[in-house]
Amino acid sequence: MSATLQDVRKTFGDTVALSSIDLDIKDGEFIAMLGPSGCGKTTLLRLLAGFETPTSGNIRIDDIEAVEPGHMVPPEKRNIGMVFQSFALWPHMKVKEQVQFPLDHHKYVPDRFKKQKKERMKEVLEMVGLQHYADRMPNELSGGQKQRVALARAVAAQPSLLLMDEPLSSLDAGLRLEMRREIQAIHRKTETSIVYVTHDQSEALAMADRVIVMNHGSIEQIGSPRDIYSFPQTEFTAGFVGKANMVPGTFTPEGFHPLSDTDIVWPCTRVASTFIENGTFPVRPEQFQLNQHGDGLKGRVVNSQFQGKEMHYVVEVQGHSWTVDTPADVQLPIGEEISISLTGIETPSPSQTVHVYS
Amino acid sequence: MDNTAKKNQGGPASWFSALSAHPVLWKRMMLAVTLVVLILFFVLPIVRLIWLSFTEDAVPTWQHYNEVLSDAGTWTVIQNTFWMVLGSTIMTLLLGVFMAWLITYSDIRAKQAIHVMVMLPFIIPSYIITLSWTQLFRDSSWFSGILQWLPGNLETPDLYTLPGMIFMLGLSNYPLVYLFTVAVLRKIPQELLSAARASGSGKWTVFRKITLPLALPGITGGGLLAFLANLDNFGIPAFLGIPGNITVLSTAIYQEVVGFGPSAFARAAVLSVLLGVIALLGTFLQWMLLRKSRELETAHEETGPRFRLGVWRFPAETAVWVALVFISFVPLSSMVSSSLLSAYGVDFSLETITFSNYSYILFENEKTQGAIGNSLMLALWTAVTALIAGTILAYYRVRRPSTLTRSTELITGLPYALPGIVLALAMIFTWMEPIPGWNPGIYGSIGILMIAYITRFMILQVRGSMTALMQVDISMEEASHVFGAKGLIKWRKIMLPLLLPGLISGTMLVFLTSFTELTVSSLLMSAGNETIGVTIFDFEQAGYTHYSTAFSTVVVVLMLMVIGSLMLAHHLWKKKVVKT
Repeated sequence: MSATLQDVRKTFGDTVALSSIDLDIKDGEFIAMLGPSGCGKTTLLRLLAGFETPTSGNIRIDDIEAVEPGHMVPPEKRNIGMVFQSFALWPHMKVKEQVQFPLDHHKYVPDRFKKQKKERMKEVLEMVGLQHYADRMPNELSGGQKQRVALARAVAAQPSLLLMDEPLSSLDAGLRLEMRREIQAIHRKTETSIVYVTHDQSEALAMADRVIVMNHGSIEQIGSPRDIYSFPQTEFTAGFVGKANMVPGTFTPEGFHPLSDTDIVWPCTRVASTFIENGTFPVRPEQFQLNQHGDGLKGRVVNSQFQGKEMHYVVEVQGHSWTVDTPADVQLPIGEEISISLTGIETPSPSQTVHVYS
Repeated sequence: MDNTAKKNQGGPASWFSALSAHPVLWKRMMLAVTLVVLILFFVLPIVRLIWLSFTEDAVPTWQHYNEVLSDAGTWTVIQNTFWMVLGSTIMTLLLGVFMAWLITYSDIRAKQAIHVMVMLPFIIPSYIITLSWTQLFRDSSWFSGILQWLPGNLETPDLYTLPGMIFMLGLSNYPLVYLFTVAVLRKIPQELLSAARASGSGKWTVFRKITLPLALPGITGGGLLAFLANLDNFGIPAFLGIPGNITVLSTAIYQEVVGFGPSAFARAAVLSVLLGVIALLGTFLQWMLLRKSRELETAHEETGPRFRLGVWRFPAETAVWVALVFISFVPLSSMVSSSLLSAYGVDFSLETITFSNYSYILFENEKTQGAIGNSLMLALWTAVTALIAGTILAYYRVRRPSTLTRSTELITGLPYALPGIVLALAMIFTWMEPIPGWNPGIYGSIGILMIAYITRFMILQVRGSMTALMQVDISMEEASHVFGAKGLIKWRKIMLPLLLPGLISGTMLVFLTSFTELTVSSLLMSAGNETIGVTIFDFEQAGYTHYSTAFSTVVVVLMLMVIGSLMLAHHLWKKKVVKT
């Protein structure tokens, strides 16, 4: 067990930043904390790092009580590494000095690295492909190279927990994809547990073993990227991760009647209980199908955007606006009357709780 | 805290480690000590001063106020002060705003050089600048020769008058308004002006409806700052007003104390309270305005030119440079030439040049040698103390903002907000007998000067350190913690290397202001403890102009050497670490 949070609460004055968080981070696990800004994910990360003290609750890192009532281990005495959003490279130190800093000062440096700091420094720089940049100053590096130095510095002392605070948000789009692969490679090589904070759902889905979706200071859902995407447990997760449309209607033993239209039945064997209770059915844009003729709900195209490999439509159905993604060859003019139906539905993995309406 | 190992050792260190094993208790104690020290040194003197103005032998009374306010002389003094401050503030505003507008918005060239020239009178103490102008305008100077040669019966203006004082104050303090206005003007986004133009308003409407309203809080703030500087100034009224028999509040207090008349201290206290209240009101207003103009602070500064002078560019540049060179260098060169003459009134020529004044000051006169030593030592200690204490205060103010840390900033700012002469008097009252019947011998020694300098100039370092700290992102510090370094290692390896250039500019300001300090020293110095400022003032009052000019020249050269070496060090540092 690499880290455990037990009933952790954090309030700033009257505002509740985190309400009762329980979480186990397993050894070697890559966890992505996903949520909109202000959802508490950064606060959670800073609690793990030790920059904030929880209002109540316990935190264990690597079998050491990092936080218990009346006692807190400061960041410099936790077995952690961190990649900051702004990289936080010290502008007055060469690349090699940045990487060597944790080797000189970190409390948990393994003995074999302590004896051979230079070798370890070179090894880590090689890992991120910067072996020829050891003598550069931070201002002589590109954004991607700075990011690599920040990564190298974070893993140099081989911490048992690696914290990443939106590390890719200050890079441009192309570089971001490249750095994702880099971070995955480092995770494979170091086998360190990673807690990765992001507001970008594609980053979380692409890299993590488990995704934690957070909203308003609490955890909405924890699960594998595939489950989070395909089988959201809450409306928030469905909307934030899958950009799903919430279709109101009625659940009956036959299935789901969208907009309570008794003529139309959508199969609904795999919808979470919250949706059934609320009488809404989450449909991601690509799960809809638009037809110029045929059965289904009747609607009208109100907006269209060409995206290259697909089309993004906004369709109005009985006063509801839904987004629909179709293959690029589906071309419908604005104002066109269409019928809208459902396409493929995924099969859940065995771990996923499935609520069968009966 | 990781002090469990030390905990069980006996000896004198045990209570210390026992204490540091309880971080909360330790923190509370440090906090309490800091507050007590701050109140003792920064607040108590002011309370003492106010108390004294209202008491006679420890009995509360209005008597001193009645006496002072019913004296016709007091009203003349207040009138003089009013006109002097009003006139000089208008002059600083006109000069400062105009220069700021020209430098920030026009396409005039060599802006950096102009900027340095404008800031020059800010670095050299105002009494030395005044001394240099009196040398330029003296009867037998080359300047008066030119004026006499010109048709129209021109004469050099008499600086020992109210307009003369206004002129010198205006010249000395306009860089304040200039600096303030430059910052404000740069922060007004060009886009706002463009938006107004695109919405159909002409240049003049844009200026009237957009630029002026946005810049006004800043300009007013700068004007108030200049008002305070003019009110606080002692050197110019002392050098010009005392010989010219024009007394203002600051010189009135000085003369009361030095004159040792009956109930002199009480009268001086009353005048000080009057002056102090005006100054604090001004500071408060300025602070309110500053808060208001904060809205613009988030915008980033734009330095590109916003209008073209066209054919007027060359004439404008010529005019600016002629004026600046004249203002900055011509009087100084007159001062240097006076210092090279053996006696007042001798014509300046190759045969009359002598270095005897310099050798007298540097090698023969013990008083001047002592003054250089004293000022150097005072400035050094003040700078070092302020650097350490001020940076610690600034650190807590920036990183742990709370009512408490904000009030420590306010407290440390108090002695600087008060006019120097007022602070000096408050210091006398406090340290003559801190506890009735006990004189620790600080008053009358160099110790009181040290205390006064440190309390007065501490805020300069606090502000400098705060600016430096705010430029170092907190993630730099957090990264240091994550990678295992806190406390001393963090400061040595991360914080100091990053902060030092920023800290040093504050320290340099403290050092140079202390080095040439006149106001506070004029009241607090005692025989054998003279400072540079007081010595130059004494020479001037006694009519030894060739000594005062020579000594001033030495001081200016010393200052330029200090600034030069610091700028060189800064340049070398910058070459190594370019800000990312």
